[in-house]
Amino acid sequence: MELLSILSPLFFGLVAAGTVVGIIFGAIPGMTATMAVAVCLPLTYSLGLENGLALLLGLYVGGISGGLVPAILLNIPGTPSSITTTLDGYPMTQNGEGERALKIGITSSLVGGLISLAALYLFAPALADFAIKFSYIEKFLIIFFALTVMAALSSSLLIGIFSGFLGIFISLIGAYDISRGGNGELRLVPEFLEYYLESGFSLLPVLIGLFGLATILIDAEHGMKDAKELSKIKIGGAPFKLSVFKGQIINLIRSSSIGTFVGILPGVGGSAASILAYSQEKNFSRNPDKFGKGAPEGVIASESANNGLTGGALVPLLSLGIPGDSTTAILIGAFTLQGIQVGPLFIGNNPITWDAMIIAMLVANIVMFLVMVFAIRHLAKVVTVPKNILFPIILMMCVVGAYTINYGVMFDVWTLLIFGLFGYLAHKIRLEIAPFIIGFILGPSAEIYFVKSLESFGTFSIFFTKSWIAVLLWVLIAVSIAFSISVARKKKRIVD
Amino acid sequence: MSFDSPFHVTVDFSSSHLIFPTIIAVILGVLFISILITRGSTILATVTNGTWWPAGIDHARFFGTLALTVIYFLAMPSVGDIFPNTGLGFYLCSIPYLFALSTLFLRERNRRTLMIAGANALIAPSVVWYILSELFNISLP
Repeated sequence: MELLSILSPLFFGLVAAGTVVGIIFGAIPGMTATMAVAVCLPLTYSLGLENGLALLLGLYVGGISGGLVPAILLNIPGTPSSITTTLDGYPMTQNGEGERALKIGITSSLVGGLISLAALYLFAPALADFAIKFSYIEKFLIIFFALTVMAALSSSLLIGIFSGFLGIFISLIGAYDISRGGNGELRLVPEFLEYYLESGFSLLPVLIGLFGLATILIDAEHGMKDAKELSKIKIGGAPFKLSVFKGQIINLIRSSSIGTFVGILPGVGGSAASILAYSQEKNFSRNPDKFGKGAPEGVIASESANNGLTGGALVPLLSLGIPGDSTTAILIGAFTLQGIQVGPLFIGNNPITWDAMIIAMLVANIVMFLVMVFAIRHLAKVVTVPKNILFPIILMMCVVGAYTINYGVMFDVWTLLIFGLFGYLAHKIRLEIAPFIIGFILGPSAEIYFVKSLESFGTFSIFFTKSWIAVLLWVLIAVSIAFSISVARKKKRIVD
Repeated sequence: MSFDSPFHVTVDFSSSHLIFPTIIAVILGVLFISILITRGSTILATVTNGTWWPAGIDHARFFGTLALTVIYFLAMPSVGDIFPNTGLGFYLCSIPYLFALSTLFLRERNRRTLMIAGANALIAPSVVWYILSELFNISLP
């Protein structure tokens, strides 16, 4: 009965409003689900815990889902987890299949969101128990595995691995995080930047620079010539039919499960889910060559995985108090505002709040699907705005996002410029941005896991002998690299 | 970090912040050399035959975007200091920045397109400034 009193029209209204605003945030390049949640967090002061969470979870689901719109129509991932959606979504748009690609993505997002929600509700305690058992060694190997998978996804394994390690290296700039067991000493920082780079480069300005400013610089280099062609994109060219999912059930379930599983692993959230799912689908495909050229199964894998993340990322948050990704990290703020401690006792002590969260996630997924399916033509209008109008607004919003993420730090705006230029340079010399980003996101965690493992065990062999999970992960790493080498050799033979 | 045997190591906590960066730097060096070895001929061919940057790009739009963005970033905090805690540094600098950038990106500059660029430069920063700074009280430069 207490639950029913919480499920008021206001509760459902907040979920719906949050979802719609989240979709808009996700759909505008440079604005993310993380920013949507951060911007609206202060609004939850006066709403109470359940109503506040209803708004924020709507923003989370909407923000992650909305990212597919610019990924498919503009080749700019609206959220980091939409990186792989661009690979096949944008080619589909170029082929006049924009609306079809969007609806495939939306439907996949719904399936991913619902599967992950079911997993969250039914198996959360068991899944959390499993993840808790991972020691630093398994966590380090999972990051290594994610990097090798992403490198395998790249056009060149060598360049992909180099890009990933470069991302890790840049993520290590700053102090060795004392709050996670480091010694707090600075490294790789010039003396005159020590004040600004004590905590290293902030993630969001880096992402906005790489995906916002760099994209615009590349366009400016070409003189914005395709502005007219952009307005000629036939979004509604090919009709969407559910039959596109025929033969894709395994892909949907596997990708949603990968998204959920990756979301559960603390710190291995974000784009790792969609990249893993995409590369697995590519690996299992009979025609891997069609990926990157407009394959619907690529969009299905990417979108079902990144929405699968939404439920999974809440598992470590609610059971351990550890966020699964950057957005759920901000959700901790919502609990703190209400004086609630998230951790192992949260679900047991707050069963009503737990149920309300599950219902909010369910409603958010349904609202997301209905709004995006029926209003996609209006949402998609973002691409019909001429570039000379759209891009300056995007740049302005990039500045707002970079400046506000740490509550008003001008250095974050310069970080946006630095990484915008780096992204442009990377494009020129053909570095791979996706492994770079993953290396950058996971680098600090990888360092802690690696160094602490060595401190504890005093031997490198522990990475091979710690557990059967470690052995399994090494096998997966080897398979991933071997597969990539085999594909490269096949390609070379075809070229020869 | 000191090696007791090929596999056994002792980690010195006071210098533990250098272990991982050193390992990653070495791996990066090895990978870079591997790239040079495996792709050296391709890189050399590109360097000798290709046109050097920034030849062949739209100089005005590329460097114009960069220059305007740097000026915008420099101007925002300076103007913001005149009107502290109001977000007016962002607002007052965004209007000319958006207009200049829109005009720079235009391929056909006539009265109509310039009017649209001007309207956009006025409306977009006003809406963003009002919603974020006034409505949500979010700090802007």
